[in-house]
Amino acid sequence: MLQSAIDSILVLAVLLNLAMLATSRMAACIRTFALQSLLLALLPIAVGLRHETIPGAHAFVITAGAVGLKVFLIPWILLRVLRTGEIHREIEPFIGFTASVMLGAVIIVASFAFAKRMPLPTEAPTDLLVPVSIATLFNGLLMLVSRLKAITQVLGYLVVENGIFVFGLLLLEQTPVLVELGILLDLFVGVFIMGIIVYHIRREFDHMDTHLLDALRES
Amino acid sequence: MHVLLIVVPVVFAAVCLALPGPRLRLASLVAGSGAHFGVTIWSWSTTFPDEADSVFAIEPLGHLFVSLVSVLFAATSVYFVGYHRKALLSQRIFLACMLALLAALSAVCMSRHLGVLWVAMEAASLAATPLIYFRLSARSLEATWKFLLMSSVGIALALLGIFCIAVAAMKAEPAVSLVYSDLVSHAKELDVLWLRAGFLLALVGFGAKMGLSPLHSWKPDAYGEAPPPVAALLSGAMTLGPFIGILRVFQVCSAAGLAEFAGGWLVVFGLVSIGTAAVFVVGNNDYRRIFAYTSVEHMGVMVVGVGLGLGGSYAAMLHAMHNTLNKGVLFFMAGFFWRIYQSNRVSDVRGALHHHPTAGILFLGGLCATCGLPPFGMFFSELGILFAAAQKAQWWVLGLFTLTLCIVFVGVMTAMLPMVFGPPPENLKSAPKGEGRWRNVVMLAPATLLLLAALVLGAYQPACVRDALYAAAATLEPLRTESGAAVARGMEVLP
Repeated sequence: MLQSAIDSILVLAVLLNLAMLATSRMAACIRTFALQSLLLALLPIAVGLRHETIPGAHAFVITAGAVGLKVFLIPWILLRVLRTGEIHREIEPFIGFTASVMLGAVIIVASFAFAKRMPLPTEAPTDLLVPVSIATLFNGLLMLVSRLKAITQVLGYLVVENGIFVFGLLLLEQTPVLVELGILLDLFVGVFIMGIIVYHIRREFDHMDTHLLDALRES
Repeated sequence: MHVLLIVVPVVFAAVCLALPGPRLRLASLVAGSGAHFGVTIWSWSTTFPDEADSVFAIEPLGHLFVSLVSVLFAATSVYFVGYHRKALLSQRIFLACMLALLAALSAVCMSRHLGVLWVAMEAASLAATPLIYFRLSARSLEATWKFLLMSSVGIALALLGIFCIAVAAMKAEPAVSLVYSDLVSHAKELDVLWLRAGFLLALVGFGAKMGLSPLHSWKPDAYGEAPPPVAALLSGAMTLGPFIGILRVFQVCSAAGLAEFAGGWLVVFGLVSIGTAAVFVVGNNDYRRIFAYTSVEHMGVMVVGVGLGLGGSYAAMLHAMHNTLNKGVLFFMAGFFWRIYQSNRVSDVRGALHHHPTAGILFLGGLCATCGLPPFGMFFSELGILFAAAQKAQWWVLGLFTLTLCIVFVGVMTAMLPMVFGPPPENLKSAPKGEGRWRNVVMLAPATLLLLAALVLGAYQPACVRDALYAAAATLEPLRTESGAAVARGMEVLP
């Protein structure tokens, strides 16, 4: 029961990656990200439940931190930045929406193939953990390099971070809470600064296409 | 008490935020980095007990790096007093971020847990971001965005690498924590496959932060657009943080018997970086961007040195030390020239030696130092790496290394020598009087001191400095045969 819940959450997370690659409306994209983060944030508790009836405080702290930051605070900041401008759609990305969904699917297949060749030294909560983590990571990278708007690039970075979060579930007992919280704090401050910069980019260039950021290069 | 190295800058950063006037805040910056420097000097005179379960500890490699960071920050804070005129970005935030960067870098150098190291490294790059955005222009905005995005992605990959190493450590019974000394002592029990994956990811990730090619593209932009004192900090001190990250992971790998594998990749990345610098330095017309590419080159040299091992590790430590000193001098002078000539273009800066002899001489000295002319230390470190390559009979490495270094040398010198010699352009402002004069002194004094230090440490190396470099290099060679250490000791290049 619990096992199938964990597995379904992971499968859903991968599907949400594809959903994010397919949407052009940025607000929808941000909400999809929040949903993905919410699902993933449940995992520490679910994995903890496998071992004992009541998971440790560690799992709860991480879940609380992840929900607070990635489900509420960060999407709120991004939506706020988005509201201050006129453009709400990603128009003509480097790689089109259909093509990027196809690429995303290829990445997912490749991650499963790759994870098969990297046997884990210990027993994992589920076999899906490593492939889903790698697939999410690379889907995030794909979003990061294929989109023009600064906000979608930030979202790509956040999806990369979600992929690493999934991977971190393997190490739930090993990593000190302090380090986990430090990682979350850094993530938050990073996104906060990115939000400020996106705001400045729009004020400077009147919108937030990053392809206008090409004054600096070798002449 | 070594925690003082982190606490002191944090306290002064808070003071900076609280103080009312710009002058008081500048004083707080100088006091903060001065106090940090004082603690650093004091730390060399005491010995630290081996505290097994503390998060931070002083050990030879980190101690060397934190000292370099401290020296450069002390010099830069003095320079900044002379440099700072108009407050573009909020000065309060700017100075606080500078001190926060110092604290974060100290934490990186001293952390024993790889996770803590990562958190501190990310904190350092976040603290550095507002510093690049100093001018509030479109160009600096672009540089800041590229820096932030590249370093965030890089550091995310590094985190994945660290997690992979943690997975590798789960094979041991009981699972080893991510404290690198534990990892080194249990290295034989780690899972080799995951350790390899972790090393590569950490190398790429930290390499992006350090500016190793092919993920160096943010570097010329950031160094070109950030105010020169900040560029000095980024190139001289900030690069040491990711470097120590790579070295920690490398220590674990070489203790696990993967020294050949890990060293090979380090050499490849290093050579590609030097090659990239060689391609982009030639014909470049922006002197700060050229310095940025020489920084890419020097990172490459350091990594090649570590990858070769034997005398190479010692040479890499020597190179790191001189890189910090030289980059300080060069970027300080770049800021000074910008004040005189109001241009970043090589072709606009002419005849510095005639117009301002002291600045011309300092700049020339910095150029010679960074190009590795004797008696400056980089000559000896690069020679040491050549010897190490020759001793391991890696002739391809030796050949490529020499060739690319020569191209960089020619590229930098042909571009920069006309900046020093020749007639100055006619419409230059004459040397400033009164208020401008003390500014010149305050800006040139730290550059002079750093250049003198580079000269002295190149021409004559005191025993204490050599011992520190040795101890740092020795931590990188835990198990590379007993005789290897003896050989290294016999063949290291001494001035």
